[in-house]
Order: sequence, then C-alpha cells, then structure tokens
Amino acid sequence: MTVAVQSALSGLTSVVGTSRVVRDPATCASLAVDGRTPACVLYPSSAEQVAAVLQYAAQHDLAVIPCRNATKLGVGNVPRRYDVALSLKEMKQVRHYEPADLTVTAEGGMTFGDFQHFVSRDGLWLPLDPPGAWRASLGGILATNASGPLRLFYGAPRDMVLGMRIATSEGKVIKTGGRVVKNVAGYDMAKLLIGSYGTLGVIVEASFKLFPLPRARATFVLPAGPLGITRDLRSRILRSPLQPLRLVLLDAVTAKLALAGTPLAREVKEPEIWLEMGGSARVIERCAGELEELGKAVGAPVYRLEAENAEVAWTRISDFRTWLPEACPGVAILKVVLPDAASEEFLSRAEQEAENDKVALASFTQLGIGILHLCLLEAESATARIALIRRLRSAAQDLGGALVVEHCHWDIKSRVDVWGPTGDDFAVMAKVKAAWDAKGILAPGRFVGGL
Amino acid sequence: MKPSPLVRELTRLVGSDAVLWRPEDLMLYEYDGLSSAGQPHAVVLPSTTEHVVAIVKLATRENVPVVARGAGTGLSGGSVVTEGGIVVATSRMKQIVEIDLENQRARVQPGLVNLDLSLAVSDDGYYYVPDPSSQKACTIGGNVAENAAGPHTLAYGVTTNHVLGLEVVLPDGEVIHTGAKFWDRPGYDLRGLLVGSEGTLGIVTEITVRLCRKPEAITTLLSIYDRVVDATRTVAAITARGITPSALEMMDGFTLRAVEEATHAGYPTDSAAVLLVEVEGLREAVEEQAHQIEAVCRENQAREIRLAQTAEERELLWRGRKNAFGALGRISPSYYVQDGVIPRTRLPEMLEYIEQVARKYHLLIGNMFHAGDGNLHPIIMFDARDAGQAQRVRQAAEEILARCVEMGGAITGEHGVGLEKRNLMPLTFSADDLEMMRRLKSVFDPKGSFNPGKLLPTGQGRGGLRVQVSTGEGL
Repeated sequence: MTVAVQSALSGLTSVVGTSRVVRDPATCASLAVDGRTPACVLYPSSAEQVAAVLQYAAQHDLAVIPCRNATKLGVGNVPRRYDVALSLKEMKQVRHYEPADLTVTAEGGMTFGDFQHFVSRDGLWLPLDPPGAWRASLGGILATNASGPLRLFYGAPRDMVLGMRIATSEGKVIKTGGRVVKNVAGYDMAKLLIGSYGTLGVIVEASFKLFPLPRARATFVLPAGPLGITRDLRSRILRSPLQPLRLVLLDAVTAKLALAGTPLAREVKEPEIWLEMGGSARVIERCAGELEELGKAVGAPVYRLEAENAEVAWTRISDFRTWLPEACPGVAILKVVLPDAASEEFLSRAEQEAENDKVALASFTQLGIGILHLCLLEAESATARIALIRRLRSAAQDLGGALVVEHCHWDIKSRVDVWGPTGDDFAVMAKVKAAWDAKGILAPGRFVGGL
Repeated sequence: MKPSPLVRELTRLVGSDAVLWRPEDLMLYEYDGLSSAGQPHAVVLPSTTEHVVAIVKLATRENVPVVARGAGTGLSGGSVVTEGGIVVATSRMKQIVEIDLENQRARVQPGLVNLDLSLAVSDDGYYYVPDPSSQKACTIGGNVAENAAGPHTLAYGVTTNHVLGLEVVLPDGEVIHTGAKFWDRPGYDLRGLLVGSEGTLGIVTEITVRLCRKPEAITTLLSIYDRVVDATRTVAAITARGITPSALEMMDGFTLRAVEEATHAGYPTDSAAVLLVEVEGLREAVEEQAHQIEAVCRENQAREIRLAQTAEERELLWRGRKNAFGALGRISPSYYVQDGVIPRTRLPEMLEYIEQVARKYHLLIGNMFHAGDGNLHPIIMFDARDAGQAQRVRQAAEEILARCVEMGGAITGEHGVGLEKRNLMPLTFSADDLEMMRRLKSVFDPKGSFNPGKLLPTGQGRGGLRVQVSTGEGL
C-alpha cells in the first residue's frame, strides 16, 4: 500500500467516525475478493454517510467495493484495485411499510431473511429465492439481479422494484422511481443499477411491490429420463394451463448433493424435474391430477413431497452456490443463459464435452426461463477446467446464449473473462459507467469488459 | 412550392413516396393525443433500420432535431415537435420479424400495431400482455417509448416487464443491440433505461418481446355502487386481502353514462360508480377468486354484481371501457385526461379531493381509471373556446397531481412526461436526480437532437403543465 493510500485511508475516520472504520485483519480478510484484501471495512449508518464515503474515496482515489454478507462478492473479474470494503451492515431498517398497499421501502443492508420475516406477518412476501437468499441483503440481491427458480412465475428483482435511492461517487443521494406500483416519470435509472454489481453507485434504499403468500403450495417430482423426454415434459408443462411457481431440472448428481443432509436424502440415479404449484387446496388437487396424466403420457410416475420437506429441499436447491463450494473445493460454477428451448441441447453438449475432458459435472436448469447452472466438480487440472469453460461458452453462444463464470478460483479468472465477450452496446455502457463513476473507484475492473 | 434541400436529400435516401413535406401533408403530424405543437420540416416513413440510420445521420450532420413517432396516440405530447425538424414515423415498419412460440418470444418492428401482435399468436393460445386502451391503433414502438400499460398490466406488469431486447439507432447513427432473446445478458440493462425514455435517447427499430400463454378461464364481474366511496373502498379491500385480479377498473357515474350512451354495453346509468373486475387462470382458481371478490364487493355495499355470462358480454363491457374517451368526446367540446398515481389505499380520500377541486374551479371531472394500480385518470370537461375555462382546467389538473405527490404517488403512471409534464418534474425529483438524468441524456445524445424539449424540465425550478390550446381536444 502506498503512503498516499495510507494517509487517505486515515482520513476516512473523519467521514464516518472512528467507530465505523474497522481495520482488524480478520474482518478485512473476510471480505477479500480474489486474493485482494481491503485495507479497511467501513460501516456507514445513513445514506448521506455512504455518499460522503464515496465522495471522499473519489477525491482520494480509493477503490471501493460495496458489500454486506459477501454471498455474491465472488462474482466478477479480479478487481483492478480494492482499498475499502463498504459494508451496509448498519443500514437495515424498514423505512416505509404499507401492507394494505402491498408496498414496502427498506434500506439496502437489510438481509432478505429479516425482510421476509418482517412482511410475512401480514401474509406477504417478496417472491425471490436467489442463492444464499436468507443471508443476502436487499441491496446485494438488486445489485446482482439475483434470482432463483421462483422467477418463472414471479419475475426477477427488476420486475419488483418501484424505486430506489442511490448514493453516488459525487457524494449525492439520488432518487429514481417512487413508492407506488406504477410510475413512468423520468428515466428508469433503477434498471441501470439492478445487475450493475456495485459499479455505478450504492443502492442505499429500495421500494418493492409485495405479493400475497400462496394459500398452499405443493411440490411434485418427476423422473426426467433422457433429455428427449425432458424436452417433451418441459414443453407439455409450459403449454398446459398449469402455472408452476418453480420448475427445475436437476441432474442426478445435483439432486443427490442437494438432498444430502435433508430428510429427503437418498440415492438418485436419474435426472429429476421438480415442480412447485401454488393456490388453494382445490387448485393443487387439480394440478396433481393434470401432472399425473402428464407423467403417464411419457411413462414417468409423479410423486408429491411433504410440504415441510419440500421447503427444506427448495432452499437447499436455490442455495447450491453457497454450499457447493464448501462441499467441493475448487468447483467452478457457470451460469448459462439462453433461449429456453435450447436448454436440453446445451445440456447434452455440455455432458459430452465434460465426459471428453473427464470433468465431473453437476447441472441445475431453470426450465421455462432459460437459465442453467453447471458445476465443474472435479478436473485433472485448472487447464482442463479452463479449456472446458471456453468450449462451453462457445456452445452457449452457438445456441444464441451466453455464459458467465459465477464462481471459480481466481487464478482461473486471470485466464478467462468471467462475463464473456461484449456486444455492440459496450461503448454506451462504458459512457454510462463514466457518467456515474467518473473516477472509476467503484469495484474497478470487476464488471463486463473491465468496467 | 419547392422541396427544401433537406427534403430533396431525404427523398434521395428513402424515396419520394416516403417523404412528406407539403404543409397540408404535415398538418396531421402536428398533433398527438394531447395537443398540437409546431410543424415539422418533413415527415419520413422509413421501412428499414438502414433507412433510419441514413435519416439520423443526415439530421445530425445538418443539426436538425429528430422526433420518432408511432401512431400519435400518446397523451403527453411525446411525439409532437417543438423545434421543427424531422419526424421519423414508423408506420411502415410494421413487420413481425419472428414468432418463436417454443421460446415464447416475438421480434417485431416498432410500427406494428399492439393488437396485431396478440392477434397473430392468438390461435396458438398466446398473447402480448400490455394492452393500452388505444391498442387497436398504438404501436409497440410507441409503447416502448412510453413504457405503456393497460388494464391487464395489473397482474402481469407493464411494457418494461415484457421487453427483452431492443435494436436502437443512436443519434450518431450507430446501431446497438441491448438485451437479448434470453434473460440476463451480462452488462448494464440499457434496455431497461431505454424503455420509457420517450424517444429522447434513441430510436428503437426492432423489439424482442415475451409472449404469454392465454389463461384457461376468465371471469369478468361488474360491481355496481350507489356511492363512489363504496367502490373505492372495495378496491382497497381487494388489494388488502391479497386477491390479485388481472384487471380492476373503475368508472364513475358521469363517465359510465357517457359510455353507455355511446356503446350500449349494459352499464347501469343510474349508479354512482362501477368496478370492472377480471380474474383469470385455472378454472378452479378463477371460480374461487370470483367468489372472494363478490364477497368483498358486497361487504362494501355493492348494489348489484353482474357476471359476464358469455365472451360477447365480456367483450362488450371492455369495448365500453376502452372506447370511453371517444364516448366523452360526444358530450363535451373538449376534455383533458390526466394521469397520476397514488397508493391504492388512498383512493377514497383522493376521489373526494378531486370532487372538491371540481367544485372549486366550477368544472366537471369524470373518473375512469386503473383502480387496482391506484393509477388515476381524472377527465376534465371543458370548452376550449373559453380561455378562462382553459386556465382553470390547468390549475385543477396541477392541484390534483400535486396531491398525488403529497400522498406518496407519481405525476404519471403510464402516459409519460413528454411536453406536458416536463416542468412538473421538480415536484417529485431533486436537482441532483434531474442532473443525473440530464447526464444520461447526454451519454446517448450529446447534441440534444432526439426529441428535444421532452421529459426533462426546461428551467431550474418547478413550472406548470404545458398543454397548448387548440381547436380540437386538449387545451
């Protein structure tokens, strides 16, 4: 660390107060990104303090990465610089809540678990199930537009945000949108922040529309068999009047790993389709009947899970990105996005490629959405993993999609751009970045195209 | 009269049958659904993205403003010109480029009429959700510019929730593609910024949208009230009970009498208000929800609840609702439709407030709106030939919008800011908020040549509504 950075860092205490600057090595290490450890962690307590920190950082050229519980901190390229971790831990209040209006405004540092608990007393929820949801913060979920299987029915975070307050690197707190469910006044700047991975500004507060919790839910499991049958099942389910809340395809490895340690732990030999339906008891009975018919048509017996076990299993499935790296050190997790109907084709190519390279694979596919997660479990070498990632990326591109490396050891990141190639809109993206963060202090180098 | 050098150059680029320049041809393009403004130098009717690029490059070189225009049905002056220039009218870019049912996507040109997309996929059991009242005329490109909504966006989201990808011509003539056919393409969500940007950032030349599966069952209820407040309380109660209808519309007595006279849809002319409620989904779910809604309506003193028995009855009720503006045109020389949003629970109090405003300014104000969203459309009747009245109308509208903001609402829910509300923006945004918007505008359009004078305030402080007095509708 240079002397200039050292002295700039010491000035931070005058911005947020001594008690809100932590330099203890263990705390700093817990927020390390790709082998880079911040020199301090800041815990501002208000939107204005966040803005003041950013302004100070911009003036003194300190690189800042916003964070909370680090559930998605590993996503992105290796940061060019990283001086300060800006934690929103102290910003966890509900600012405005109108249960009868189904709207709520909360600070960015509130954990999704606390938030969900808070609104559930009125029979409401924010229907999201991204990886690590319970520990993740609202701001983090928005900054990464993180979603899970519930997206099929309810949409992504971007579909649920009504407005935001954002701290900028100029030291301002700006507003976009509002608190009501419809609003087209001005540019929809919230959309830019959602999925920007902390590179434009810090989401200090957000307003959401809430949804009533389904009266009942039921989970059904169908053996999927070969990919041809999966395709048939997917297409029949999506064309049926049934509207599943979640619909996923788990390969045998993923299913087995996900169920391990739950009351449902068992040997799994074949890929499975998991499906959750919501509604009244009568609606669920109707769905059960339809699914049974569907299963018969393709020769797949359908079974229904106990409600309690189902919830545990779904949480485990959504959370794979949290527990998998612990269960399989060295794992690389890839997110493939593509037109939904190409899912099986991609999976079959991926399985072939992995077999050729002797890489053990686990996959988790959100049917009907066109999002797949591939986990490269074991490989002979990092080189084999990298070669496979490259070939899988071109397979995704061939099928009209893209591939993002969401989790891997950082030495892989030095040889593969985690986001993949940019498009003809990149020049505009770079200008947008410059408009928000002229000094380039927010998570520098981590995002698409090195932004 | 001879064409100007600019017109001759445009003709060379796109052909003489695609350029309008005689004053009598341009007159039609002075208007949109709100009002009239100035006359453009020329109107160009491109057929391809390449045409749009060529037109934009020429305009930039000549320093001439460019205003994109769909069907001109907008209600905030978004497609009228303020400083002359070239109108790029997309009416010939109306192809459906691709329908991909397996992926539930369609790729369309911007001039495609909204309803035509749903009709094209209807036989296969799909539809395009956003359904503005003008859907028989308005274009998908225009919907993207305004982030349009409609009665059925209550449950399924507005235009921005259904658009995945855009091809856009920027003011420098560059063509970019943002978003994709699939979700979550890595990078900033420029598509999300462009939707609702009112033609001030780029001209959209191709749109990838999501198609949705038509529901198995639909039930439409008409709940009839003797008091307005009972209707608005019903709306709040339906929301609070966690029932999600696919549409929840309200019409007050004044409006529904006008509608009934014009369409004979069967609306009760002696009532104070009606709610038009629709639920859809699985048969069983629809039955249950319809019962729940009926119960809520009765608890809130509905005089009568009618169920549309056939598809024809349903169609007739909706036709009445969607053609209501035309119906009002029959009874008042002019009317002015406002668009504001409030939290749904505040509807009873807001409608009372609107009544007070009407009394204060001696005006007749009808209400017909997306009640489930809290999206108000007060309709102020007046006679544009009376200048004093026009002034009162403007003041009444401003007071209603200011009240929306005080209640924690918005100055526009779906019609856009355009020319009309640009100077009301400071009512809801700070100087810092607006500064960031201006900066984003210059990222795309540093010279300010795309749709100048729209969306962003012209001065620093708060101004008033801008609505030009004309002989037709509007003031």
